[in-house]
Amino acid sequence: MPDRKGRYIDMVKKIFAIMLLAVLAGMPAFAAEMYDYNSAEFKDNASQFMCMCGCGQDHFECNMDGCGLNDSFKTEILEMMNDGMTQDEIKNHYTGMYGEVILTAPEKKGFSLTAWITPFAALGAAGAGVTLLVRRWVNKSRLNTDHFEDSEPKDKESELEEEILKAMVDEERKKYY
Amino acid sequence: MYIIGNLSIYLALILSVYAFASLFLGIKKQDQRLIDSGRGATLAIFILASISMLLMFILLGTSQFQFEYVYQYTSSDLPLLYKLSALWAGNAGSLLLWTFFLTMYAAMVGYSKKMVRNPMTPYIIAIMTLNTIFFYLILAFVTKPFMLLDGVPPEGRGLNPMLQDPGMILHPVAIYLGYVGLVVPFAFAIASLILKNMDSFWVKMTRRWTIIAWVFLTLGNVIGGYWAYTELGWGGYWAWDPVENASFMPWLTVTAYLHSVMIQERKNMLKIWNLSLIILSYALTLFGTFLVRSGVLTSVHAFGESNLGAYFLIFMAFMVILAMYVLMSRYHLIKKDTGQFESFLSKESSFLINNLILLGGTFAVFWGTVFPLVSEAVRGTKVTVGIPFFNTVMSPILLALLFIMAVCPLIAWQRSSMKNIRDNFLIPAIISLVIAGLLVFMGIRDAYPVIAWSIIAFMVLTHITEFIRGTSARRKVTKEPVPVAFYNLIIRSRRRYGGYIVHLGIAIMAVGIVGANFDLERLETMEIGDSVEIGGYTVTYENLAQRSEGVNDIVYANMRVERDGRDLGIMQPERMFYLNWEEPSTNVAVRSTLRDDLYIVLSAWEEDQRATFQFKVNPLVKWVWIGTYVLVIGAVFAVWKGRYGNVTPRYAGPQRKVY
Repeated sequence: MPDRKGRYIDMVKKIFAIMLLAVLAGMPAFAAEMYDYNSAEFKDNASQFMCMCGCGQDHFECNMDGCGLNDSFKTEILEMMNDGMTQDEIKNHYTGMYGEVILTAPEKKGFSLTAWITPFAALGAAGAGVTLLVRRWVNKSRLNTDHFEDSEPKDKESELEEEILKAMVDEERKKYY
Repeated sequence: MYIIGNLSIYLALILSVYAFASLFLGIKKQDQRLIDSGRGATLAIFILASISMLLMFILLGTSQFQFEYVYQYTSSDLPLLYKLSALWAGNAGSLLLWTFFLTMYAAMVGYSKKMVRNPMTPYIIAIMTLNTIFFYLILAFVTKPFMLLDGVPPEGRGLNPMLQDPGMILHPVAIYLGYVGLVVPFAFAIASLILKNMDSFWVKMTRRWTIIAWVFLTLGNVIGGYWAYTELGWGGYWAWDPVENASFMPWLTVTAYLHSVMIQERKNMLKIWNLSLIILSYALTLFGTFLVRSGVLTSVHAFGESNLGAYFLIFMAFMVILAMYVLMSRYHLIKKDTGQFESFLSKESSFLINNLILLGGTFAVFWGTVFPLVSEAVRGTKVTVGIPFFNTVMSPILLALLFIMAVCPLIAWQRSSMKNIRDNFLIPAIISLVIAGLLVFMGIRDAYPVIAWSIIAFMVLTHITEFIRGTSARRKVTKEPVPVAFYNLIIRSRRRYGGYIVHLGIAIMAVGIVGANFDLERLETMEIGDSVEIGGYTVTYENLAQRSEGVNDIVYANMRVERDGRDLGIMQPERMFYLNWEEPSTNVAVRSTLRDDLYIVLSAWEEDQRATFQFKVNPLVKWVWIGTYVLVIGAVFAVWKGRYGNVTPRYAGPQRKVY
């Protein structure tokens, strides 16, 4: 039994060693993957930085004549990508150099987070306010109108027919007065 | 020319002050002669503004370079059309154009047949004249259009090539007509408050004015987008630039106003809200001008840094404080005789939600636009708020807006029931879900496009349902044949069905906007004979050539385009080099179909004729432009006079001795 167990452990070790070798052998091939200007990853990277030439575009889109920044910026990003830097590392590199202003949108942390949250918070608060207001109006209307309980909900079709009839009556009346 | 030009400005300023004083005293003393004199002065101001405009056109058209403005923005080789359109290329000229429109509108209101013997008229003209005074003060003392140089330069500096585009002839004019148009409902609203006339007269009288201003704002924005798409070469039409946002914000608030006034007209409710909306819209037009002219925010559209923005900010603050004071002082009167809100499930509620979303959108755009200033003020750190922010924040808001546009038409006024809503929405909802399934089946896996196109489909279907329901209701009453019933239905209710056509236009535009999720692009350096495959197109670089156009040189590439083996012809992306301008400009080659646009930009080239191109395939862009046509048709249909329902609102407010 121990022999069988020993053989089994040896076999596992061999398989592990082969797998490790395969992974190590594959590493250079993986690392050698080269990005170019048409890579989706390049677009993701370049489009997170604002071009400062005054074009109002990010570095992926900038096509401004005479922009002295864009070509070198793109080349630099591509080099960093091909050197194996991740998107976050590239981002940190440029924000460290230029500050947050280089990014096309505020970061989702710290004070900049308020840029993202405030519109929805305001919309939510306004929505709650409108709901309360309408509830108050509806309740007030119920109190003021005794016959409210009897009034039927309006049907869209009958509303349209009523309007058409009223318009026809108005037209006829105009002919004579 | 110099003397006449300046005289026309200074005289108009003096007359504006006189008109305001005369109207003010006329109202105070109830003296009709003073009122008539003030009214006459507004006509004289309009004539003087026309003279100023005519003079400036003559100076620009005849290249009178001794005038600083002509020297700054034109050159003798410029085509006549662009020489003339240079009038709105700089600060002084564009403000002159603005003033011209303002004086024209003031004269139109002052001499409107509908406002004859109406006591509101002197108040309205006085408020509009306050605006005129401000603009003439700027033209007379801050940015003077008729300034002479010391000598006569042999040649002008020329017009920025990016502005030498048909889009730039129309875009500023449309935007200004929209901006200035909003002064009219603002003046009516404030006049109504001053006179303590709390009914909906001002709303009804200014409906056409407001819709026309809104259409011009829409056109201005879309033409600007079209210009950016074809001229700037980045393949998009909306960049959420601060200046674009500045004209989008009043568009949103006026859209909200056009919906909420229906509640006021029908139920006599939301009076304060509507007054606030029109004050806000008017203030946002001034805020937009402040952004464009101050240089506080970085923008590709800015006129350059100047102190003009500060004057606009001061004037905006003055007018808003004045308007808010009048509004608050009449608050107790406005609150009287308010109608009743009977149910959560009603058209009124859906209009309120519509307003909430539109105002939420306005706030989001405003917040994103000013956040760089907020960040700098609070923590001293500069940030950029660009396209990713606005796309992320505005997408859910605009989707919610599309959804409410779909729901709103089929809900009854006052009180609807769940059963009615179920009956009205069941079929459109099922078809929309089927469309969503089909989109997923076709391989679209992104949630946003699937949700957006399904909501758009839902919106189109509910609107078609509304047309069908209306026609059948009319047939029930009149027994007319279907085409006759349909024609009579829409022709007798232009406002409603015109509005629905506008909605359909928005839906078509939205289809195109959502298409931007599937843009493809490639950057390729090619040798002659090389081909590129993108989005089903095969583009072959045939050769690089050069030609002259007047004094300018154009370098262009011939690109043969094929799709599915079919030859689609040659496309020519260009670079234009100007004799009188340092930077060349890009002329994009666009092949536009309903399915997609093939968009080619010539980026660079080498001596051996190798050239770098940017290729883009932008799906459904044409839908954005088609949707705009539909929107304009709908709006024109809604305001067209016609035979039916064309009743001039009757003034029933307080009477005065003067009118």
